[in-house]
Amino acid sequence: MTSTDLVKESSADRAVRFERDALVFTNQLYAAALRYTKNPHDAKDLVQDTYLKAFASFHQFEPGTNLKAWLYRVLTTTFINTYRKNQRRPQISGGEIEDWQLASAASHSSNLGKSAEMEALENLPDSDIKRALNEIPEEFRIAVYLADVEGFSYKEIADIVGVPAGTVMSRLHRGRKQLRERLTEYAKELGYSVKAPKGVKAQDSTEEETP
Amino acid sequence: MSQFETLPCNQILNSFVLLLEGNTDVPMRHNIETHLSECPECSAELAHEKIMHSLLQDVLRRTCCESAPVELHDSIFAQIHSQMAGAFTTEVTTEFTMTEISIEIDEFGTIEHREITIEHTEEIRYHDEFPEKG
Repeated sequence: MTSTDLVKESSADRAVRFERDALVFTNQLYAAALRYTKNPHDAKDLVQDTYLKAFASFHQFEPGTNLKAWLYRVLTTTFINTYRKNQRRPQISGGEIEDWQLASAASHSSNLGKSAEMEALENLPDSDIKRALNEIPEEFRIAVYLADVEGFSYKEIADIVGVPAGTVMSRLHRGRKQLRERLTEYAKELGYSVKAPKGVKAQDSTEEETP
Repeated sequence: MSQFETLPCNQILNSFVLLLEGNTDVPMRHNIETHLSECPECSAELAHEKIMHSLLQDVLRRTCCESAPVELHDSIFAQIHSQMAGAFTTEVTTEFTMTEISIEIDEFGTIEHREITIEHTEEIRYHDEFPEKG
């Protein structure tokens, strides 16, 4: 469809196009909304609101561009603007350190730590994976979800979330690390003979969620 | 790892996210590759990171695949249709504008200038039959 065609498109045609192209993402958006809101009731409301807003501004969507990314932007913006206001969840405060590459004291892990970490990840039940996701800070969770579940590039995530690409990198780095640390801990609780990799738990303590 | 003075190991380790996301400029990539070629520990760490990254993706994708409840599909569909009810309208608008300008100069040299503009706008709305979902 060219831009000339778009001008000629009637609102009825647009509605049909929306129904055909956008509604196929309902399940995906719902799964994302569950991670965002952490509960099925809010997730349903969020997806419903997302479609309502997306439909109302569908004329602004440029055909041929990434509709899925566009819908995720509506979902994420709606979540940040609406649902988060109602929650008392602590946000990452004090600004995200942009020189995270230098600030964090990473170190090599032992081979034992490496194999234990892999074993933990392979053996944990789904409920623990979800629990770990729920426990990491929201900004990290959203970035990791968009990258590792939905397969968006860091540039797309920057656009969806509305933050600079460097911030996305920082969130992915920290989010994945925290997620893995938690999963390793759960595996230990479950009795796997996991020896935590050297150097975990030491970093990012300033950004941990407070109860 | 004191022999790598330009880029210490911890900075290399923290750069892996950039490699995984394909966000390294050429000098940065060169620095990282040089370091990796000389530091077996960091190379091993990168190999592990790549495995863990793909493992984490597999686990997350396997876990996060809930389907929306049927009533959500239904209510979104219903909501859009109620929004669409007003949308199935064909609008025809015709516009016509004409301006007539006349300038007259009489014997005393007085200039008389007249402008008449006629505008016509017509709007017709046809309510289309609501299309059924095929």
